[in-house]
Amino acid sequence: MNPRPDPNELTAPDDGIARGGVLLDVKNVSLSFGGVKAITDISLNVLKGEIRAIIGPNGAGKTSMLNVINGFYTPQEGTIIFRGKERRSMKPHQAVGQGIARTFQNVALFKGMSTLDNIMAGRSVRMKRNIGWQMLWHGPALREEIEHREKVEEIIDFLEIQHIRRTPVGKLPYGLQKRVELGRALAMEPTLLLLDEPMAGMNLEEKEDMSRFIIDVNQQRGTTIALIEHDMGVVMDLSDRVVVLDYGKKIADGPPDEVKNNQNVIDAYLGVPH
Amino acid sequence: MFYRTAGQFKTSYEADHALFPVRQDAILLGVILIFAFVIFPFTASEFAFRALLIPVLIYSLAALGLNILTGYAGQLSLGTGAFMGVGAYACYKLVSIFPEMNIVVAIALSGFFSAAIGVLFGLPSLRIKGFYLAIATLAAQFFLVWLFQKWAWLYNYNASGAIQVPNIDLFGITVAGPRATAMAQYYFVLCVVCAITFFAINITRGRIGRMWKAVRDMDIAAELVGINLMRTKLMAFFVSSYVVGIAGALFVFLWRGAAEANLFDIPLSFRVLFIAIIGGLGSILGNFLGAILIVALPVIISSVPGAFGIPVDSAMVEHLNIMIIGALIIAFLIIEPHGLARFWAMIREKFILWPFPH
Amino acid sequence: MEFLNDVLVQPFADMAAAPDFLLQVLWEGLVGGVLYALIALGFVLIYKSSRIFNFAQGIMVVFAALTLVGLYEKGVPALLALPLTLVVMLILAMTIERVVLRPLVNQPDIILFMATIGITLFLIGFGELIFGGENKVMITEQLFIPTGSIVFEPFGGFVSIEEKDLTAVIGAMVLVAALLVFLNKSKIGRAIRALGDDHQAALSVGISLSTIWVIVWFIAGVIALATGIVWGARAGVSFALEVIAFKALPVLMLGGLESVMGAIIGGLAIGILEKVFEIYWGQPLLGGNTEAWFAYMLALLVLLFRPQGLFGEKIIERV
Repeated sequence: MNPRPDPNELTAPDDGIARGGVLLDVKNVSLSFGGVKAITDISLNVLKGEIRAIIGPNGAGKTSMLNVINGFYTPQEGTIIFRGKERRSMKPHQAVGQGIARTFQNVALFKGMSTLDNIMAGRSVRMKRNIGWQMLWHGPALREEIEHREKVEEIIDFLEIQHIRRTPVGKLPYGLQKRVELGRALAMEPTLLLLDEPMAGMNLEEKEDMSRFIIDVNQQRGTTIALIEHDMGVVMDLSDRVVVLDYGKKIADGPPDEVKNNQNVIDAYLGVPH
Repeated sequence: MFYRTAGQFKTSYEADHALFPVRQDAILLGVILIFAFVIFPFTASEFAFRALLIPVLIYSLAALGLNILTGYAGQLSLGTGAFMGVGAYACYKLVSIFPEMNIVVAIALSGFFSAAIGVLFGLPSLRIKGFYLAIATLAAQFFLVWLFQKWAWLYNYNASGAIQVPNIDLFGITVAGPRATAMAQYYFVLCVVCAITFFAINITRGRIGRMWKAVRDMDIAAELVGINLMRTKLMAFFVSSYVVGIAGALFVFLWRGAAEANLFDIPLSFRVLFIAIIGGLGSILGNFLGAILIVALPVIISSVPGAFGIPVDSAMVEHLNIMIIGALIIAFLIIEPHGLARFWAMIREKFILWPFPH
Repeated sequence: MEFLNDVLVQPFADMAAAPDFLLQVLWEGLVGGVLYALIALGFVLIYKSSRIFNFAQGIMVVFAALTLVGLYEKGVPALLALPLTLVVMLILAMTIERVVLRPLVNQPDIILFMATIGITLFLIGFGELIFGGENKVMITEQLFIPTGSIVFEPFGGFVSIEEKDLTAVIGAMVLVAALLVFLNKSKIGRAIRALGDDHQAALSVGISLSTIWVIVWFIAGVIALATGIVWGARAGVSFALEVIAFKALPVLMLGGLESVMGAIIGGLAIGILEKVFEIYWGQPLLGGNTEAWFAYMLALLVLLFRPQGLFGEKIIERV
């Protein structure tokens, strides 16, 4: 059995890395499925406290990159150093233990559960009362439940979703589902938050709300964020640094303005033949 | 009209986490419990105890066990009957080997045997999903029933191959065996069922219940929020099989009085599955509603023609019975796939909002 | 030591000592396997085209056989009863599509699965109500199925093959061949396979779902009738036949829910292996009747190593 993460370790995001230091370092990673290469020899890093964007045309390997970072896929080559610790492969639930949380391109909520339960589920790893206490719903189990409920209510207030607390998420409109999913990721109190197209399918107003939440999370909570997004306007406004992928390869990396004027990037988006 | 939530405010999370945040629910449950503990025992006939009340409770418990696995954790099982059998045979052996053992202890322990076997047959769930897993649970079903038949030690080498429940006393009252009264057995079963239901409600609404539901709704996402799939699934198998095993022990000791191996065959598994599904997967209340329907239906069907003075032979009743249950299952699935529990939830919603439609 | 001998050596010694008996056992297993394969085939067709795990396939076998024999007993000539039974199976397919499938379209798998259990119960009650619950004899001779037996004498021993079993094997082969041609060559057959790949895509190219479902359930009904005749000729017609439906399930696990070839190979393999295990290990060592679970345990073991079955496609998980 895999050891459960130590709850104390989770609540201590202070890992000696100063703001601006390298939090995540991906070195020469390659990933393929059968004969299909999804990622070819990519290196990139994420600095503590920044908002890092990963962009690129469809099929560029962006989501695969996130899947590698949080352990869902194991790359054939390369290493990943997170918070100073190197690793080749691990189970996704161990990534959570190390402080990585994420949202998904196609909302991956627990559809049969309410908003509250979905976000509470994000705190499962931090709760530790055993089944004996749970059965009785008294003493430590109840105290623990309430303690975490308070944290979750903070997130619910922050994301302004009080009114849908009890609604099964399957019934919510898409934009709200995305917000609940962000809430669930925040409930894990991550050091590094991975967002896979957080604004896909949203209208302008919803995008503005979501951008505000992302900035607030980054500034108020000090959470480092790596995100994939197609809306260039949003990406350029939000992010500190942008990395551009195309056909599984890195073609540019740097501040938004620099990337915007990079010839390779323009070619990739306009579809110059390779 | 009676259901008014207006004016009931929660000032603490503790109050919000009470068993019944809405006062009327608590009152309703109180009324039902008064009926169950006081009014039924003084009005029910021997027939009502044996044909309706006791089986409804025991089937509810079995369905509750299955529902934990299938409705909450999303792992379809077709082998419930065999796990009930494990509970029953384990209890029988415990009582035979330790005649002095308190019957409550024996039943509580027998659940651990079915839980262990349940975890064993749950191991494939780590690799196999959906219908493949459902078929895998049938492996448990057929193998265990075969074992009940062939392993003579299990039934103390009786010539008949059946297990026979001896007279067992609890606090001076006979609760099991030929001498036990229906009322004593009813009270015994009622107390066990109430206690386990209370525990099940608490487990399913807390951390463990959320983890089960997360695995059910989307196992990959569950893993990515840090839930260990293996532990969670196996715990569901453990808890579920424990409850099912207890139901099996009650089934034989407090109701049937004797059992042969084939009692635990496929038809029993399916009956429990029907109860859980018609009642509502992922609901505690549904198990009771489903059990009432499935247990009462044959009794009603067989008594209707007689009531109208139409002579119908028993084979005919049997055939009609099967046919009607089959048709009803389909009808229920079409009308409300989420089961009777959802029906009740909708009615309750209407009451709360009444007289305004929205 | 003696135990190891009993398990690992003695059975093979027995096989070598009486090769003619081994051949007989293999043949019996093969015939059983053909029947399992046929039932599994009905399952696979329905699963492929509609994602329904049709538990009622087993009862359709009994129902078809019962209708055939029941019609004959009510005075219909055998050769007329056969097409009439096919008409009944068509009506059944249409009724199921109209009453059960159409209202339940897009429901979760488990709900549809439960509905087919509902169909099973309904058909049991309905069949018994009309034709009675007692055991019937299949009208083998009236359908011109030979009933003699052919005797071989290999290795100086003695192997007896029933002609009706031989007919069954050949008939099944013809049926499967016809089915494969239908699935691969005809327009409807291709539509069925398209549906198996992607519901929405198939709909968008203009395939009527209802029509396909009726056809698929009717084909499953025809297969059920063929299985019913063969099995009925061996064991009589009664609802006890229902148990063979359970025999087909491990075949599906082994072969993969969506593979026609898997159903056939899995069926034959399980038929033969369970017979051999029962005769050489089950009866001498375990008290017999191991056929009740052997197939399941075998399939379970295989699944632990290949979760998608022997012939299923590998599942790649995505997020």
